[in-house]
Amino acid sequence: MSDPRSQIDVIGAFGQEHECVHAIEQMKAAGIDSIRAFAPIPCEHILSALGHKKSPVRMAVLLGGIAGVTSGYALAIILSLNWPHIVGGKPVVSIPPFTIIGFELMILFGAISSLLSFLFFGRLPNLQEFAGYSQRFSSDQFGLVVRCDPEDAARVERLMRSTGAQEVKRETA
Amino acid sequence: MAVGTEALAGEISYADIDRDVLKTLETPGRVYWAGVAFLFALIALAAAAWTRQIYVGLGVTGLRQPAMWAVYITNFVFWVGIAHSGTLISAILFLFRVRWRTAVYRSAEAMTLFAVATAGLFPIIHLGRSWYFYWLLPYPNERWLQPNFRSPLVWDAFAVGTYATVSAIFLYFGMVPDVAAARDKTAAGIRRTLYSILGLGWRGTDEQWRHYSMAYLLLAGLATPLVISVHSVVSWDFAMAQLPGWHSTIFAPYFVAGAIFSGVAMVITIMIPMRRMLGLEKLVTLWHFDNLAKVVLFTSIIMSYSYATESFTVWYAGDPYELVTFHQRYFGPMAPFFWMMIFCNCLVPLLLFSPRVRTNLKLLWVITIFVNIGMWLERFVIIAGSLATNFMPNTWAFFRISLTEFLITIGSFAWFLFLFTLFCRVIPIVSMTELKEGATWLRKALRAPYSKAA
Repeated sequence: MSDPRSQIDVIGAFGQEHECVHAIEQMKAAGIDSIRAFAPIPCEHILSALGHKKSPVRMAVLLGGIAGVTSGYALAIILSLNWPHIVGGKPVVSIPPFTIIGFELMILFGAISSLLSFLFFGRLPNLQEFAGYSQRFSSDQFGLVVRCDPEDAARVERLMRSTGAQEVKRETA
Repeated sequence: MAVGTEALAGEISYADIDRDVLKTLETPGRVYWAGVAFLFALIALAAAAWTRQIYVGLGVTGLRQPAMWAVYITNFVFWVGIAHSGTLISAILFLFRVRWRTAVYRSAEAMTLFAVATAGLFPIIHLGRSWYFYWLLPYPNERWLQPNFRSPLVWDAFAVGTYATVSAIFLYFGMVPDVAAARDKTAAGIRRTLYSILGLGWRGTDEQWRHYSMAYLLLAGLATPLVISVHSVVSWDFAMAQLPGWHSTIFAPYFVAGAIFSGVAMVITIMIPMRRMLGLEKLVTLWHFDNLAKVVLFTSIIMSYSYATESFTVWYAGDPYELVTFHQRYFGPMAPFFWMMIFCNCLVPLLLFSPRVRTNLKLLWVITIFVNIGMWLERFVIIAGSLATNFMPNTWAFFRISLTEFLITIGSFAWFLFLFTLFCRVIPIVSMTELKEGATWLRKALRAPYSKAA
């Protein structure tokens, strides 16, 4: 690989999701790996063509849920012991009603961790502009940006055109 | 199927969706502002009534022994119920991949949040000393007392608090890609700055979508049991008490079904005029209303069954106090409310068996208003009616609604509509992202029998 400063971004705009997926598959087959896709909709085919694994958000939500249920029970048990007041002849530590507190906090902590982990792993808020982003990629087109050496750029352009890109252009990275 | 820039005849392209939805965010006309001012006036009236209640005391309401819960708690339960449609449509129908949810889920979610915001006011309004509301939270007061975690009221504080937070997260989550698209299409100014902040710099990269899709799916998975738990917990506010008419195991499922029934009816009540006001006829179609109406019909039948079961168990058990409570419900001072409720909740929705009625928006709108009235009355009959006849016949007395409670109830409707009306002019009220995702399904919506003009 040559000096990163001399690299080129080849940007292709596709009108259809399947063309975009096809272009990714072709480029992957040709050994081109540095691909970023932009899409106006969530698109499983693009993600699987790019070879993404399942998001680690899953683990964060699981941990959040476990933390929630634990702290829900802990809150109710510790605070009840802190003020051991018998109401209606029920034990001070009454597990069935405390399950409601545990359940609600499990959902609450799980939901909050889904938001926070999405922001963390998705690197949001994002203040930088992504190379090759165009407003049409949030509207009605799918975009591919391939970072490559100048000598590979022509090949990438050809691949994009052959798979149905409506527009292909180059920018210096 | 071809979607995107090359839409076939009769299909809707992504650009059409963007154009139609973003058009709703343009500067509104005078009629809109007149409506907002009217709602604001009603809210001001309710605020004045509440101020007087705080100043004079709870004696200005109709609350007297034995009915110390009545209109305010009815409103609380009613609004929490309305909130349920949003999570049903956005979470449960999302998990089941129900296609018609796409056009209505954003407004249902917004309704959820605003309905919870409305419901949350009522326990505070209901307190004589509203400033002590935080005693329900696990926060020790000056004598180091902790709340009683065995009390349904404390469960309620946790359930409704969680529901409000999760609904807000869910609404915001769904908005991010849409707000980013609106940002890209808006000229520089305050709006663009607002969308830039709310959009968090979203660009729709594959990495962002990867985490977004997973987080959204899990959030839907978490919200699904939550929606069922919240109204169950609200029902236990009553069912856990030893009171004839309240102490029943049927309450949790019965309340959840009722919440979905009233919530979906409210979605229809609001969507029909809103669709017209915002020019969304192409995106929110008769197909969507037809399906929403089927949910109303289905839950109405569950409600009828629940009313019958409730009465049957009371008759079969033969407890004299329960029998008196139900007797006064059918033939006593509560009878006008009860039979009106049966008419609104059990009989009127049966019209929805007819596909013609389900796709006649004027008729559908009127039916859903009946359902809303019926569901409000149901809670009133259960709450105020049951408290009137407790285990001490010497205390029996029926509740009368005061002007203060009436004004605050009207004000709560105005407050809910006020928030919703402002929201729908700032944030895209129909999800552009999900409509694009299901654009091919909209074709179905534009075919017969839905093709005739609304």
